[in-house]
Amino acid sequence: MAQIALEKVSRVYGDEKALQDIDLTFADDVTTAVVGPSGSGKSTLLQVINGLVRPSHGTVSVFREPIDYGRLPELRLRIGYAVQGTGLFPHLTVEENITLLARLAKWDVEQIKARTEELMRLVNLPVSFAQRYPHELSGGQQQRVGLCRAMVLNPRIFLLDEPFGALDPITRNEIQREFLHLQQMEARTIVLVTHDLREALKLAQRLVVLDRGSLVQHGTCKEILEDPASGFVRSFFQSQLEQ
Amino acid sequence: MHTAVISLVTFLSLLLGPDPARGQTVVVGSKHFNEGYILAEISAQLLEDRGFRVERKFGLGGTLVCFEALRNGEIGLYPEYSGTLEQAILKLPHRVSHRELREILKRRFDLDLLESFGFSNTYAIAVSRRLARVRGLKTISDLAKFSNLRFGFSHEFLNRQDGWPGLARTYGLPARPVGIEHGLAYHAIREDRLDVTDVYSTDGDIKKFDLVLLEDDRRYFPEYLAALLVRGGLDEQIKRILGELAGTITAAEMQGLNGQVLLERKSFAEVAQQFLREEGLLRSQGQALLGSRWGTLLFRAATHVELTLIALVAGMAVAIPGGILIYRLRAISKPVVYLAGLLQTIPSIALLAFMIPFFGIGAKPAIVALFLYALLPILRNTAAALFSIDPVLKRVSVGMGLTAWQRLRYVELPLAAPTILAGIKTAAVINIGTATLAAFIGAGGLGEPIVTGLALNDTTLILEGAVPAALLAIVTEWGFEGLEKLLIPKHLLQKPAE
Repeated sequence: MAQIALEKVSRVYGDEKALQDIDLTFADDVTTAVVGPSGSGKSTLLQVINGLVRPSHGTVSVFREPIDYGRLPELRLRIGYAVQGTGLFPHLTVEENITLLARLAKWDVEQIKARTEELMRLVNLPVSFAQRYPHELSGGQQQRVGLCRAMVLNPRIFLLDEPFGALDPITRNEIQREFLHLQQMEARTIVLVTHDLREALKLAQRLVVLDRGSLVQHGTCKEILEDPASGFVRSFFQSQLEQ
Repeated sequence: MHTAVISLVTFLSLLLGPDPARGQTVVVGSKHFNEGYILAEISAQLLEDRGFRVERKFGLGGTLVCFEALRNGEIGLYPEYSGTLEQAILKLPHRVSHRELREILKRRFDLDLLESFGFSNTYAIAVSRRLARVRGLKTISDLAKFSNLRFGFSHEFLNRQDGWPGLARTYGLPARPVGIEHGLAYHAIREDRLDVTDVYSTDGDIKKFDLVLLEDDRRYFPEYLAALLVRGGLDEQIKRILGELAGTITAAEMQGLNGQVLLERKSFAEVAQQFLREEGLLRSQGQALLGSRWGTLLFRAATHVELTLIALVAGMAVAIPGGILIYRLRAISKPVVYLAGLLQTIPSIALLAFMIPFFGIGAKPAIVALFLYALLPILRNTAAALFSIDPVLKRVSVGMGLTAWQRLRYVELPLAAPTILAGIKTAAVINIGTATLAAFIGAGGLGEPIVTGLALNDTTLILEGAVPAALLAIVTEWGFEGLEKLLIPKHLLQKPAE
């Protein structure tokens, strides 16, 4: 009963094949990291799941149903989405950023306030930051706000596109720890795109390896580390882990 | 806001205007030159004296503006000249008598040309007294002897068949004249920037600027008998009353009346009233001629703000959604912005003139023209601001599940707001400036004293309109700065250094 499944999915841009014939089922309630060299189609794969990219061929099912492309906003409200560089809205305060979707869903004021404080505590953000604007926060703090915003409606699926990419090593470490903590408390189905294999191994239970738009290998971290499916996977792992 | 302006205007007009007369309202027009104002004011006061309510639409752009306004019923009458009617309007191939002219106007346009005021104000060619002496200039033929004289003519004279083209042919003048605003030509001659210009033979300025009229030795210029041109449908009683003005003014008297305004700085109203009294045409004892200066200023400013504001709000109502549409439908963005840009390049006075056939004269065509001018800055800024939003923010707002409308409302428009507001500010300031020209088509406002001042060479009068207009523009700038502070988080504002 997988929440996310791709069936023979291809995405073509002109002559270029960003995704090629992908058959893939994401395991429920675990974190799957999508890795591969740059240009391998990682981001495209992620955006196929929330309909930002529509496949040229094939079917994408989310919550066990094929995506209805006429009703994307409703689907997306049930999928948390966070990107590199946070994508926080500069004209909204921290609180307004976090609660935008809740306000649009007409939550009452008390409920919104409680949820904001709950989320901010969860990611170790001082509640006093609620009225600040994003530009007044450090990169790590902004990233935490981005996560809060993605979590506000408590989605069962999380799509994270290089969310920790732009952070310094110490901050990244902290947030990664918090991320694991969150996942422990309440397991969600998470798809994490990262160019950093170490991060993938640390945060994810399962890996998807892509090369030039094709699925090369899919399995648990252990399976793939112990039994790489091809020379490409072996050399990709070696080059990444030796650095 | 609109209603507030209107009620303010109504209140002020009750305060300043004459007692609302019992009779019907007559709209009196005039072209924007001294004599036109005086003759129109004389006619207006005469009608007021006999109990009619008069609306003054003075200082209209030119012959065609007045004539079209009269045909469309925007005005009921205005002073015109027989030669102008023959040449510029009817384009008759040969000269006709006054009686024939009246018949043609009645038949073709249902207009009545009343009996002449009694003088002819023909075109004449003038040079400074000093130049006439040095070069020995006495007749227009003498001009052909010199090749280095600088000619500058009013635009109307320059382009009329009975103006420069025919004059050059008749006298064999090789000069290449420049076009210059009539009032400015006198100054140009005094400053020795210009040698030869066209004047009207009854011009009060001739005396003031010490000019010499050259003799029309080949009898080129036709007669220009001044008379009121009125709509055929106008009340016979009104025509009869205006008929009392026939034959009351000689050319010398007209020069005197013109001079009283130009040299003695009397108001049109004063000069007209004095004239009517001396002619024994007034029945009542006369009334207060002018409201207080400040009252008039306030009234004009209110009209000005009203014109600008209505046009601006209409411009926003069209251009902001237009900008959003362009943003959503990229394909139409170039043609639409080019079209709006094209509108912007039409000279204001020409755009105002274009509006007359569709909207007549007064506030309506002015507002439409100002509205068109407001479009481009708002449209361009709206579209540009939306296009330049960080693509990551756009992707996130889509990806998190906002609908197209929600994205616009909560993300895209707020982010574009500073630039859109800057566009609205630009449009507002442009409109305040351009609205001064609206007085040429009878819309009133702060342009009124400017237009009159230009006709009279009266710098004080020009400043009376120009200074408040400039202040209004500055206050508007401040207002928008305040609005920015109020509406937009500080870190999103553009730095003033740009």
